[in-house]
Amino acid sequence: MSKANKNDKSRRKFLQNLGLAGVSAVGGTALLLQSCSDSKDSASGKKVKVLTQDNQLVEVDVANLKPSDKIKDLDYLQDRGREGIPGKKFVMVVDLAKCKNARKCMSACQNAHQLKPEMHHINVLEMNDPVRKTSYYMPKTCQHCDNPPCVSVCPVDATFKRQDGIVLIDNERCIGCRFCVAACPYSARTFNWTEPKDAKEFAEVTYDMELNVPQKKGTVTKCAFSADRLREGKLPYCVSACPNGVYYFGDSNEDLVTNGTTKKTVRLSELLEENAAYTLMPELGTKPSVYYLPPRQNKG
Amino acid sequence: MNDTLSKEILTDDQIEQDLLKNINWGNKFKLWLAFLAVSLIICLYFYYQQIEHGLGVTGLHDYVSWGIYISNFVFFVATSLIGMLISSVLGLMNVSWVKPLARIAELVAVAFAMVAGLIIITDMGRPDRLLNVFMHGRVQSPIVWDIAVVVTYVAISILLLYIPLLPDIALCRDKLKNVPKWQQKMYKILALGWKGKAKQFKLMNNYTRILLILIIPIALSIHTVTSWLFAMTLRSGWDSPIFGPYFVSGAFVAGCAAVIITMYFFQKNYKLDKYITIDHFDRMGRLLVLVALVYVYFNINEIIVPAYKTNTADAKHVQEMLSGHESIMFWMVQLGGLIIPFLLILFRPMRRPLPLMLISIVILTGAWFKRVLIVVPTQLAPYYPIQNVPEKWTHYMPTVPEIAITTGSFILVLIIMSVLAKLFPVIPIWEIKEEINHNKN
Amino acid sequence: MNYFKYYKSIILICLCSLVMANVQAQNEWEVTTEQDKNLSPFMFDDEMVLEGKISYENSCTSCHGMPGQADYTPMAPPPGDPGSNQFQLQNDGALFHKIKLGRGAMPKFEDVFADDETWNIIAYIRSFNENYKQPIPDLGGVEIPKYDLKLAFDENVDKLVVKVFSKEIPQPEVEVSAFVKGTFGKLLLGKIQTNELGIAYLDVDPKLPGDAEGKLHIMVKATKGYALAKLNQKMKIVQPTIRKSAIEGRHIWSTDKMAPIWLKVSFFITIFGVWAVLFFIVFGFRNIKKAGREDDVMIE
Repeated sequence: MSKANKNDKSRRKFLQNLGLAGVSAVGGTALLLQSCSDSKDSASGKKVKVLTQDNQLVEVDVANLKPSDKIKDLDYLQDRGREGIPGKKFVMVVDLAKCKNARKCMSACQNAHQLKPEMHHINVLEMNDPVRKTSYYMPKTCQHCDNPPCVSVCPVDATFKRQDGIVLIDNERCIGCRFCVAACPYSARTFNWTEPKDAKEFAEVTYDMELNVPQKKGTVTKCAFSADRLREGKLPYCVSACPNGVYYFGDSNEDLVTNGTTKKTVRLSELLEENAAYTLMPELGTKPSVYYLPPRQNKG
Repeated sequence: MNDTLSKEILTDDQIEQDLLKNINWGNKFKLWLAFLAVSLIICLYFYYQQIEHGLGVTGLHDYVSWGIYISNFVFFVATSLIGMLISSVLGLMNVSWVKPLARIAELVAVAFAMVAGLIIITDMGRPDRLLNVFMHGRVQSPIVWDIAVVVTYVAISILLLYIPLLPDIALCRDKLKNVPKWQQKMYKILALGWKGKAKQFKLMNNYTRILLILIIPIALSIHTVTSWLFAMTLRSGWDSPIFGPYFVSGAFVAGCAAVIITMYFFQKNYKLDKYITIDHFDRMGRLLVLVALVYVYFNINEIIVPAYKTNTADAKHVQEMLSGHESIMFWMVQLGGLIIPFLLILFRPMRRPLPLMLISIVILTGAWFKRVLIVVPTQLAPYYPIQNVPEKWTHYMPTVPEIAITTGSFILVLIIMSVLAKLFPVIPIWEIKEEINHNKN
Repeated sequence: MNYFKYYKSIILICLCSLVMANVQAQNEWEVTTEQDKNLSPFMFDDEMVLEGKISYENSCTSCHGMPGQADYTPMAPPPGDPGSNQFQLQNDGALFHKIKLGRGAMPKFEDVFADDETWNIIAYIRSFNENYKQPIPDLGGVEIPKYDLKLAFDENVDKLVVKVFSKEIPQPEVEVSAFVKGTFGKLLLGKIQTNELGIAYLDVDPKLPGDAEGKLHIMVKATKGYALAKLNQKMKIVQPTIRKSAIEGRHIWSTDKMAPIWLKVSFFITIFGVWAVLFFIVFGFRNIKKAGREDDVMIE
């Protein structure tokens, strides 16, 4: 099922044109693409998806990758985390009509982010529907607001908004004042009140703010839209874990969102318009990046 | 004319003797200090525990992430504002009866403001990163404003305590020969070669005047900014444009009460009834009535406006206060801590030293709980339901370490005030002498 | 709702057939030679694998688990792991008919999946077998054509024009599907057969946002029987879009560096102003000291 060989050549040329010093990161292999200039040697046929700094998702042969210390370098990870991915504006669409409270999103998230059971980056709430006198399930993450009240109040730039719209936390910087927790109207933030889960196990791991792991005692943590996965061109942990097709995720600059379960890609604007999408508490002026489709009965 | 001072004719020597009397290291005081020190060490042990195990040793959680540390911080900042009201506002208006009280007010201000800064540190999850605030400080954050104004306010208050103290320090240097060597040396340095020259008095008066003017905006902003820690958020119950003046007016109530209590103990311990008279208590009581009235007015505003509109989230908050979970504390604080004491001190007998001091203790306690009521209930009523978390996260109960650390802050205030009152005269001697001479003439 | 009903029926079938399953457990599950030799009419490709994955996860995981993980539900007889050798040694035709007809606890999927959907599932199962080479039927000497694709865009009608050739000869009745590639998935533009001139026209919404040059990443697939061709191409189709950073400008929530000027100015002027006065007073202490000494000198 590998691609035809002729495509490889053009891709290689394309990469060379980009100047591969700029290629930011690769997949879960924890390898870093350093150079493709010596890519004439035999291809292994195994491909990894790489997002270049120019924002192109390209497939690169594993043979062209070399292990690098860079991925273990805190400064490198810190710079990368603050820089963000140019040209993107990530959005999530949550289809409440499909949520059956399976909570696979919650467990996937807690596993990925080293969270204790009571800590939620994503929390599926049972909400009352005052009109129908019933309840519905509502997954609530950080809304990655375009006017983020939590970022406004941070005294040390520990939480910040990136050019791709993601609001992140640098827990190497956070002083633990919890002003952001108080300021967030969505209660999306959680705090490491005690030593984090598996702290010893993760002690040696270099901190990556895009994953916000390892967690640190006395610092705030919250949903990061799985910025580490987005860099690899993968959907967030929660989005991929959902068995019911609740989540769409994508780039509003492209007007495309992809369903995490069915992998179907649709136009964001059409999805929002046709389903009368809304954001949480728009009257607060926070301008969330997470949209909700109403929890009507699914008659289909 | 100052008619609050004793009508007895006092000589300068008599005054000096009376007012320098408190400067000695008696056994009674040593015992008191030892008691405070031991209590503080116990509290510090709990703080050590908090550093070791994280803020998890407190009753705080993701939904009430600001608890009694922050309410205590607000309370301390509030109490320290009184220095500004008494020495500056009344002083600049030439209200002469406050002159003997000005130093006590500044003492309260310095002690509470200094400790307020420390309380903020106890609330931090990562106190080891305190320097980040200076290295990476973000000018848009009310916390940065708060730190800036608290530090400034402490500095001004210390200067305002120190500069008018110069003639008295010189007096200590000249008259107190049986105090320890280090203390004599300290007086010598701190007196700045004070000789009581006219030019020195002129400089002192000029500097004091600059500071008295400067402290008004700084004091107003220190508490306004503290109120903005809440008012700048989008939470119902905090999201209120009158929070600044509301806090400032409440601050004067707490501060007046604190000064009255301090006055009472200094008067009794140091036998100062000729200088802190029944008349002083009466007038402080009347000042307390005035500031309490303003505060009641703001309280009514804070409740009536949202209660009338019943906007969804506000309605819930108001209902919780008036008849819900918080109602017992709410009515205790409003009636017991504000309205009833306020009505009582309208009567002259209640403004005598002992009853006024007792009422002030009630008011001060009420003021402390009032701050808890401002900080905690709003967080317990978030916009989205509290679910999938331990049951105890739906309410808030401070733990032993938390209460101990908070108690520690009060002990620290007592230590600062006790030590300062043992090193320097608590009544401005040179001003009293001037007043008496003035009266005699 | 459909899914739910459908799950229920599976459970029911499972339960009812448990008894029968025990009886038949010892017998080999045999298929006729004719069935065994049945072959897929399509070449397995990534799209089929993806579609199959979704069907598999919805209908098969509950008993068979994830292929290759051997995490199937313990039953008698064991349902087995489709990634295992035991499964992979079977022919495509055998798998096809077993899925279709079922036996014992294995439900009959004939009415659930259309034939092509069943082949998708087999494509997915085969994707776990590295050694698998899809058998192609004896076409009686007929060569599988190799397609060449040519893409163009007709601005007048906003249509993507796909021309399919084989050895310079236009190919009619070839199934052409076209996609726009997004960050996380592909937006289907349409699926259509080529006309007698070997041309397929597909609608493109001109309002789709492109990159800075107005280019869209188009992916085209052409299939007919076992013939398959794919083409990836970036095409200037839509208006260029300027992608703005989400953190442009100065806001209250910006980093300290990008704080609103008025705020910075007023903050620092106030603080420095007040502290200048304080330092003036502290330096004034010298004057107080001097004033004390000056007189001494005069007296002496």
